[in-house]
Amino acid sequence: MTLSRHDLFDDVAVRLDGVSLRYDTSEDILSGIDLVLKPGSFSFLTGASGAGKTSLLKLLYLALKPTRGEVSLFGRPTSRLTRDQLSALRRRVGVVFQEFRLLDHLTAYENVALPLRVLGRKEASYRDDVEELLAWVGLGERMHSRPPTLSGGEQQRVAIARAVVTQPDILIADEPTGNVDPEMGSRLMRLFLELNKRRATTVIIATHDLGLVRQVEAPVFRLQHGLLVQDVEYGPAARRRTDIAKVAE
Amino acid sequence: MAKETPLLPVEDAREMALFFVVGALCFLAALATLSAKSTYGAARSWTAEVEGELTVSLPEADRRGAEAARKLIEATEGVKEARLLSKAEIDALLEPNFGSRGLPDSLPLPQLIAVTAEPEAEFMGLTLERRLTEAGFANAVDEHAAWAGDVRRMLAIARLVALTAVALLASTAVAVIAFATHAALLMRRDIVDVLHLAGARDRYIAGLFERRFWLLGLRAGAVGALLALGAAAAMIFAVRSSGARSGLLPELSLDFQDMAILVLTPLIAGLAARIAARFTVIRSLKSVM
Repeated sequence: MTLSRHDLFDDVAVRLDGVSLRYDTSEDILSGIDLVLKPGSFSFLTGASGAGKTSLLKLLYLALKPTRGEVSLFGRPTSRLTRDQLSALRRRVGVVFQEFRLLDHLTAYENVALPLRVLGRKEASYRDDVEELLAWVGLGERMHSRPPTLSGGEQQRVAIARAVVTQPDILIADEPTGNVDPEMGSRLMRLFLELNKRRATTVIIATHDLGLVRQVEAPVFRLQHGLLVQDVEYGPAARRRTDIAKVAE
Repeated sequence: MAKETPLLPVEDAREMALFFVVGALCFLAALATLSAKSTYGAARSWTAEVEGELTVSLPEADRRGAEAARKLIEATEGVKEARLLSKAEIDALLEPNFGSRGLPDSLPLPQLIAVTAEPEAEFMGLTLERRLTEAGFANAVDEHAAWAGDVRRMLAIARLVALTAVALLASTAVAVIAFATHAALLMRRDIVDVLHLAGARDRYIAGLFERRFWLLGLRAGAVGALLALGAAAAMIFAVRSSGARSGLLPELSLDFQDMAILVLTPLIAGLAARIAARFTVIRSLKSVM
């Protein structure tokens, strides 16, 4: 019998149990958060500015340790893992940072190829894939440009290409369409959906953009006063229900 | 295919300053090592030279009596050679104290016998003193080994000082590199974070810094060693061209061991830089998740 990717996941991609986070002596940014994301799920994370969306994502991509509680990825409680094991988990997570975090001295191509380079792959083995991905996000002509010469939208697309180039098991994106026009936003959204459907990648997107949220039928988690609540008022079905109600009125 | 851009960008100004500091420290360390080795070598050959030598002084003997004493000494087991010093030789010995015009013939001078003992001979001073006394010669034996002992003690201290200087210079270089690595790490926190979150292991990230500082240490060490070679060669040339052997300077030369020290300098500098960078990066990374 051949094991599928999900057989190895212990049937939960992300699990947060009673997670709280506090910076220094301030109050809890996040308080007692419980969250379960199934493998291959697609979710949104919303909330007002400063609600703690980025902090929650940082916990998910293992950049921060929770003050209390446990973060588990693929069924493995991260507090009990060695540094090498944490690195191995990070390789399965693609991240689109809100501030892009591109390396200015590398070209767009080299930035996208960075996670593959970290994996120790030879350039010849991934060159075509990286070039194809860059062309797909509309940067085929600019792949040898360095980030300082790219516009905000172009930098964002490079950051997205870098996050998905390894075809990660989990994709975490913080405001991934904040700097692109609606058309490119929809296109990038299709890329996320495609990854989600074709590779069963677990996708979680933090966004303010309700228009983006309404494009996809997916659970929406909302952060409010440090607490996480599931919001079901969005998505095409909800919108259809709203439209029907309006017509009935 | 284009060459991959290094993940750590080159920082010309910062690295130039560090290169200069490490190069200077390597120069001083190599020079201190060469000097210590040279001093030690010169002292060893000097002490080996004087250790088997004794001077027997016969204050009451005439020339004939002194010759008899010389024969007695020469017949003693452990004596390699015994030579009666001429009047001219005694005058030359006293010249620093009494001038070059010599001493009046009327001034009574002891007869002196220069004795060279076999290297393995022991207690020669006491043995000769006893034999001469038994034979009726009033005598005083000056064993040069006693002086050599003082010189050896002094040289042991000098060597300790030189080794301490080398150790201090080396640890300063390591501390400077560790500091520079830490600064580079803080400066390049953005790169480290991105690599870290892309799943790079600590040793992968440390490897980037290690390679950078290994090369820097190697190059700076090579420049320092070359400068030390130049300085040593200039000193040797200056001493030799002065035409006199200075009593203050040890006998200078550049032999195989000196060359080995110069060749090892950049390797040690590179290795120290690499280890310092590794420890600094690994320790810093442990502070993040």
